[in-house]
Amino acid sequence: MPLAPVDESVMIKDLVLDPYPIYRRMRAETPVVRVPSVNRTLLTKAEFTKMVKDDAELFSSNDPESPMHPAFRAHTLMRKDGDEHRRERMAMQKAFTPKIIKTNWAQVYRDITAEYLDRLPRGETVDLYQEICGPVSARILIHILGLHGASDEDMMRWSQQLIDGAGNFGWDPDLFAITDRANQEMNVLIADCAERLRAEPDDSALSLMVNAADPIPWSQVEANIKIAIGGGINEPRDAMATIIYGLLTNPEQLEEVRRQEAWGAAFEEGVRWVAPIQCSSRVAMDDIQIGGCDIAKGDILMTVQASANRDEDLYEDSENFHVFRDKNVHQAFGSGPHHCAGAHIARRTVGEIMMPALFERFPNMTLPDPEAVKWRGFGFRGPINMPVTLN
Amino acid sequence: MVKVTYVAADGTRTTVDAAPGSNVMQTALDNDVDGIVGECGGAMMCATCHCYVDDDWTEKTGERHDGEDDMLDCAADEVKETSRLSCQIKLTEDMDGLIVHLPEEQA
Repeated sequence: MPLAPVDESVMIKDLVLDPYPIYRRMRAETPVVRVPSVNRTLLTKAEFTKMVKDDAELFSSNDPESPMHPAFRAHTLMRKDGDEHRRERMAMQKAFTPKIIKTNWAQVYRDITAEYLDRLPRGETVDLYQEICGPVSARILIHILGLHGASDEDMMRWSQQLIDGAGNFGWDPDLFAITDRANQEMNVLIADCAERLRAEPDDSALSLMVNAADPIPWSQVEANIKIAIGGGINEPRDAMATIIYGLLTNPEQLEEVRRQEAWGAAFEEGVRWVAPIQCSSRVAMDDIQIGGCDIAKGDILMTVQASANRDEDLYEDSENFHVFRDKNVHQAFGSGPHHCAGAHIARRTVGEIMMPALFERFPNMTLPDPEAVKWRGFGFRGPINMPVTLN
Repeated sequence: MVKVTYVAADGTRTTVDAAPGSNVMQTALDNDVDGIVGECGGAMMCATCHCYVDDDWTEKTGERHDGEDDMLDCAADEVKETSRLSCQIKLTEDMDGLIVHLPEEQA
């Protein structure tokens, strides 16, 4: 079989600005394609991305060239396979279950959301991305993880810095200097909080990890918390902003969502349409063929779930936002062993709590200039502003 | 082929043919049975394929696998003695006629 074709025309900056027309072309013409600017083979069809993620033995997460290691100063569970990955993940998974959220935290999350909504001025245009999507996500995450004492600003800054570092494929030393500082700050906070939680345990992720009968190594406790910071703010923030945009630019759908209280369906469509985490790397552990192309052992594949989620084989009018699809099975939370550990939390906090609270508080909210909304991101994507008039 | 019947939370029954060797989650997905999500593809990492094995069939489907208990704690709906992750029930010839009940919510 031939090697996958090479696409020299695709540059990272184009993917950051708007990857969707590029992915649409790739799905049609070169669904398995080597992209030198990214230094990876991109897979853009749902069938391929799922197949690769579901087979962790043939496609390892342990990408030796990932900038994630220096950014987190750790070999995190995201880049592990098998039993080691499962053990580190299960050490905190129980903090993220629907039952814990329902019984312990749902009211706290409602109160936090209400408190932040209280601060907003009625009748004015405000940037909900800045005022609500980021800060509410950060404040809720502080509770989930057990990081009391952190400010919203610290959490948002660390999250962004970790993500920038993990996406530092150009290996810019300045970006790693920034993550070095962030790591030092987070380590101090995590140690302080751990000491308190040993004395006063609760259901937070950090408490579960430090009070476990057979705890994972301290380096991995820190790494897990940092992964949760990196993955627990931008994603709900971006999901929320995307759904707000989708609903405000499709008022007939918003009306129907309100009538049916279909906030869960709105959430699913938002994350399908623009997946907050757009792509993930895997390493081929053997020579194999995908889509009629030879992939050599050691090749790094980039599974593009952003594209899989718009695969014409699965979705009608896939480029557009339609809440009321017949079936909406998507890969926004990935698949296989690394399926998003925060999926249940995201569905409950964003879908069941934040979205209805926001639209209930400001029932006549409008997006006066949809063109003013800017979207950014290749690895992680969402709007970077959401200027909404509140009424 | 073996027959598997899925009983939805509202009582709707769907019976499908399945190949021995496949699992109860994948069989549901392949046949568009609502009520099983199976988002992690059978890696035992999402708890969105939770089912209750009908009392008459628990012996045939056997014990929970290693790690299944922990993941069932993450299921959205109530966990009972008959709760299983359907991705972990591999169909065999002697499961012809298997009945599983589905919870109200998976995610």
